[in-house]
Formats: sequence, structure tokens, C-alpha cells
Amino acid sequence: MIGYVPGASALHRAHPYTTLAAAAALLMGAFAMTGPLEVWVLVAAAAVFAAVGGVLRASARTALLLSLPVWVLLFVLHGLLGPDPRVAVGPVVLSAPGLARALVLGGRLAAIVLGFLTALAAVSPHRLVEAMTADGAPFGRAFLLASTLTVLPRMRERAARILEAQQCRGLRLRGSPLSRLKALVPLALPLVLGALAEVDEQVLALDARGAASGARRTALEPPRDSTWQRALRWTLLLFVVAAYAWKFWRLRR
Amino acid sequence: MDVRLAGIRFSYGAVEALRGVDLALAAGEQVALLGPNGAGKTTLTRLLVALRRPSAGRVTVGDWEVAHRRPDEMARRVGYVFQHADQQLFARSIEEDVAFGPRCLGLRRPRVGPVLEELGLAAVARLHPYDVPAPTRKLVALAGVLAMEPRVLVLDEPTAGLDRPQRDLVVEALRGRARDGVTVLAVSHDLGFVAEAADRVVVMREGRIAEDRPVRELLWDAPALRGLGLRPPATVEVSVALRLGGRPVRTAEVVEGMRGVKWRQAPE
Amino acid sequence: MTTLVTLERVSFGYPGAARPALTEVSLEVRPREVLLVTGPAGAGTSTLLLVATGFAPRVVGGTLGGVRRLAARRCGVVFARPWTQLTGLCSTVRDEVAFGPASLGLPRAAVLAAAARALEQLRVAHLADRDPSQLSGGELQRVVVAAALALEPDVLALDDPAAELDPEAADALYDALPSFAAGGTAVLLATPDLQRAARVATRVIGVADGRVVADGRPAEVLTGTDVALLARAADCPPPFPVDVSALLGRIAPDASRRGHDPSDAPPAGSGPDPGATAR
Repeated sequence: MIGYVPGASALHRAHPYTTLAAAAALLMGAFAMTGPLEVWVLVAAAAVFAAVGGVLRASARTALLLSLPVWVLLFVLHGLLGPDPRVAVGPVVLSAPGLARALVLGGRLAAIVLGFLTALAAVSPHRLVEAMTADGAPFGRAFLLASTLTVLPRMRERAARILEAQQCRGLRLRGSPLSRLKALVPLALPLVLGALAEVDEQVLALDARGAASGARRTALEPPRDSTWQRALRWTLLLFVVAAYAWKFWRLRR
Repeated sequence: MDVRLAGIRFSYGAVEALRGVDLALAAGEQVALLGPNGAGKTTLTRLLVALRRPSAGRVTVGDWEVAHRRPDEMARRVGYVFQHADQQLFARSIEEDVAFGPRCLGLRRPRVGPVLEELGLAAVARLHPYDVPAPTRKLVALAGVLAMEPRVLVLDEPTAGLDRPQRDLVVEALRGRARDGVTVLAVSHDLGFVAEAADRVVVMREGRIAEDRPVRELLWDAPALRGLGLRPPATVEVSVALRLGGRPVRTAEVVEGMRGVKWRQAPE
Repeated sequence: MTTLVTLERVSFGYPGAARPALTEVSLEVRPREVLLVTGPAGAGTSTLLLVATGFAPRVVGGTLGGVRRLAARRCGVVFARPWTQLTGLCSTVRDEVAFGPASLGLPRAAVLAAAARALEQLRVAHLADRDPSQLSGGELQRVVVAAALALEPDVLALDDPAAELDPEAADALYDALPSFAAGGTAVLLATPDLQRAARVATRVIGVADGRVVADGRPAEVLTGTDVALLARAADCPPPFPVDVSALLGRIAPDASRRGHDPSDAPPAGSGPDPGATAR
């Protein structure tokens, strides 16, 4: 599950800037945290974020799928090959600092991916553009941001159709690793070439609808903001600043 | 090669797209598949290449049970031409792209040249697929499938976006294959093409087959066509109005039928 | 009657292309016309539409030679693939159609009124609250045309607009074109579907190899259609009729009046000669 999922959760109903601010806070906070415990508290916060958005199960599953290979790599690299002292974890003996490092890096990844997926799921591109329009943002910027949010589901759908077409031309997805790598070319190239060809048409169509008119767009239904949401966003910003200040203060000690 | 679908049912989740379809195509038959959007036509064609599995029923192509095969295996017998060419073109030149399918199947390369000639692509063979207009790319996709020499051809809207000369190339290519015993199944909204390229018309509605008749019968049956929301092509309308013998539906036949007659012009 | 677009010996080449796409094209587009631009694939029909509406070279790049005068306030363009023309940002059809007027900064009430009018014109008002990404190809294409019309363009260019549509929807779309023109818009149409286009076109431009080779009434220019072929087979002198009823009116007036009832015998005096061999 990657992309917008319609819903009525608090995150969906909130102003898009608020939901995005929370995800950004998780992302930046993840890098400010340096110890395994802190990082995994942040991961728990990310899970709460996902639960509030009503997408905990789906985004947790996707986050796990995406993170698992990296986690395995981290544990091998840092856990097995890290410096002494060593600690026994079940049948294996791992480096203690290495394990801590792996937990920090792995936790950061989890928090970021979970936060990102939740934001994607809860922020409708339409509402985001409306919010930016109401603030007078030029359309191009708003469209770019919104398109970035929808690019993954669009590409995935396209990739599935390309796979079908090439399989019907005899493309085998089995065999040696080399042949599988070679099979990527007829899958990836049409994806890119087709997307580029469609972009041309889309740019023309948007221009024809006045997207580049330069006039200030009329927002038809701007999302409602509120004082406490603004306060929340400022609080999140302060939290991130404080987290970094604490990190640098501890480093200097 | 003959194709058989028996007792086919298929659902997308809770929606039943195919509700008991039985269809048998003989080798060398050219069949047009018509019906409103959502009737199940494309879904049916996907079953023939194992892109979808029916929830009930049996699909056989020759002596192969499609249920036991993968799409890349089915490609040895069934050539599927998708409606949108751009989802499969990728090579540096048109020639290379057309050679991709045969190469995947392990066939020899020379089969590419004649197919390019046949579809009028010899002059652009060295160009990149995206350097030619979209209708020409559709012909490139068709060439890529024909070069694989399938015994069954399944085409989804093969003439959409093509001009008249290009459509005629497609008609000739399909007729030639049918003469060699290749079974052709084409989903099409283009009744002019259907008149030229089909012997038999199967009409689907709401997941079932509503009509299955020889082309000359169905195209001459104006009330039936109206009931399906279709208008006969110009040649058939004229042919019916003039009551030409033998029920001609192809342009050449209608013109022949009209030439054997002395005409009087109505006063202006 | 003001001319909306004047092209005087215009040439156009896409960026990086070896040969020009258009050469020495002279053309005038006037209000209320339905102009069919026809030619073989790659002849430059789509390019002519883009040049006449000002999208080339402004949006697509390239070089323009000759003189072009665009008196049209606004131009709209619609392509064959409806899904590439969605903004992807609107959750309802109404918002999608309102996107154009909203982009112009019109007041909210005017935007919604323009959208409602356009939805009515394309007979898709019943889809107003639906999600554009869930529509069928035919519905989507009509929504996209409505979205272009909502801007009330002086010139509307349509490039193979019915390519994805089933026959009923295609007929409905082409049959609606004269009503757009009646409002003052000039409709430019590029399509290989000559049978449908011929029914509604007021003028036809023939293009070959980037040059205009014909410019006149449909009957004068469309000499390669099926109907023209049949007219020739019936020894009709040119100009040939452009649609079936006109043809049947010329060569077998009774058959066309009575409809397609095979049991009627033709009366003497018109139609096929009773003494000749009918195959």
C-alpha cells in the first residue's frame, strides 16, 4: 500500500500541512535521536501516527517489507563485524556497540518509512493543492509536490501492465540471476519511455486548462485550518529544534 | 489451431465479469468480439494467455490446458496484441523491437524482415519506436507479435487510431494468417474493420454471449444492430439498401455488386 | 466576422528534428466552423492543431517560421488518451471540470457556473460527484472535453477524441460538435475516423507531408472515403456525397426513403436498371 487511501480519520480531516508537519517531524526527529531506546520510542510514535490515520496495519506491513532486507544487512554488518565488547544473543555472539548501532539505524528507517507511508495515505493530493492555492502558492509548485505524492501508485500500475505485455511476448522471469537482470530492461525502459511520452501530453493538457495562466487560482474548497492545528505545527517544529539542540549539546559533552 | 472455452466464470472480487461463457473457435476462423465496455470482452481474451485464471471452467488452446501454463509459455502458441502499444516498445530501433519476441522464443531472426515489409514498416525499421507517430507504433506492436508466428492471434482494438491505408494492411495481414490456419480473435468497435476481417461475430453483454452469428447475417440485420447500439458500416448500409445479392459486406464485394448493375441517377 | 486564427506560409519544426513538420501552411480559422484536418499518419495533422492553437512552439518548443495571427482569446485542446489529460488532483468530476475556470482566477460562483454549463453540454452532469479515476473510457473522455469547454475557448482542437470510445459514445461525441460551434467556438478536428467526421465537418483541410494540399467543402476534399468509393462504383459524377443517406438519395431514392425492408420491390424509373444483371 503506497499512495493515498481515502478515509475519515483525524489525519484525513486535518489540514494537510498538519499531517505533513507531523511526518516531517518524525523524519527529522529520527536523525536527531542517537540512542536505540530514543529511536524506538520515536518508532512507537510513528506507529501511533499511523494508527491515528487508520492505516497502521497496511503501512506497517509495507514498511516491514521494505525495511527487512536493510535490517538483515545492518545486523550482519554491524552486529557480526562490529567492535568488542561482545554480548550473547541466543546462539550468536554479537558486538554490543554494533548491535546498538544497528538498532539505531534500523529504527530510523522504520520511523521514516512508517511516517512517509502514513503521510502519503492520509494527505489527498487534491486537498494539498487546494491548501497551497488558498495560500497563493503558484500552481507549478503545488502540482509538482502533489505529483510526487502520486507517482508511485501510477508507476506501479503501469509497471504491472508492462509486465503482462512483455510476458505475452515470451519474456521469462525465471532462470539465472543474469537472465533475470537482463529481463529488467524490457520492463524498465517502457516504463520510463511511456511515462515521458505521457508527460508531454499532460503538460499540454494542463497548460490548455490555464494552469500557467499566471492568475491567482481560485480555491474552491480550501481545507479548514484552526488555531490549535497551527499551534500543533509550531510545537512540532519546536520539538525538532529541541531534539537537535539536545543532540549537539550531548555531542559537545 | 482451435481454441475452446467451456463453462467459464470469472470474478473481480465481488463483481462477476464472466457468467458462464462457452465458445469454440476453429483453426483459420476469423472472429470479431463485440459488446459494450464492461461486457467482459477483454477479460475473456486475457484468459487465453493465462494472464487471468477463470474461477470455473476450462480453457484449451489446441492440446494445451491453459490452466497448466504461464503467460510466457502461452506466447509460443497465442500472440496477444494489446490495445496500447506503448506499454511494450523499448528497443533502440523498430527492427530490434520486433525481433524481441522471436528472440525470447528462441526463433531465428530472419522472420522480422518480411513482417516489417508486410505492415509498411520497412522504411522506418532503423528508427526509434518513439520517433514515429502513435498509430505507426501500433503497427510495430502488431509486427512484434506476428513475427512470433503464433497459431492463434488475439487482438484488442487493432485498428483504433489507424488511418484507412494502415487498417487495410492489418486486414490483409490477418487474412493471410487465417488462410494458413491461424485462428484470429479480434475485439473491436470498428465495424468497418469487422466487415473486412471477420467471418463470424460474437457479441457479449453483461458477462455472457448474447449473439454468435456469421458476419454477413449480423451486419445485414439492422434491427439487431440497433438493439446493440451499433450502426452498420457505410458499405453495408448501402449494400442492404440496394438489396445486393449474396449479402456482400466487404468493400470490394459491395463495389463488385454495384458494378454489375446499370445505374440511373436520380434528378438533382 | 473576425478570423480567429490566420496562418500565412507558416513552417514549424520540432526541436531536434531533421525535417520540418509543417511547410508553408496558409490557413484561416473562423468562428462557428467545424474544421476537419485529415492526412496520412505523420503528415502533420496533430502538429497543425498545436500550431493553430498556439501551443506550438510555446509549450512544446521548436521553431516557427512565417506569420501567425492569433485573435482567439483562449484555445482548448483534447487528445485521444483521456487519462493523460486529468490533473490527477481532483477527487470529483465537478472539480476536474472546474479546474480550468479556477485557474483563471474567476470568482468561485462563476467557476462553478461554468463547470455546470460544460457538464450539461456533454451530458455528464450525472457524473459530477464521481471520482474521475473510476470512470470508464467513454465517460472520462466526455469529462475531459467538458473540462476544455468550461474555459469557453474560442478555438477547440480535438485530436482523435473518440479513439477510446465505443461506437455509441463516439457517435454522441461527434454529433455534439456542431452544438459547440453554434456557440461561436471554432472546432478543429484531426481524426482518421472520416465516416463520423464527414457528417459534422463544415470544411476539410487535407494535409500531406507537412503541406496543405486541399481546402474546401467535405464533398470536394473527401474523395477517398468508402461513400465516395461506392459513389464512383455507381457512376456518380463528382462532387461525391459524404454520407450514406446523401448517396442513397442520389442513386436509389426509394430505398433510402423506405428504409431497409428487403421485401419491398423497387419501383420502375430509378435505382438499378431492372433489365441489368444484379449480382
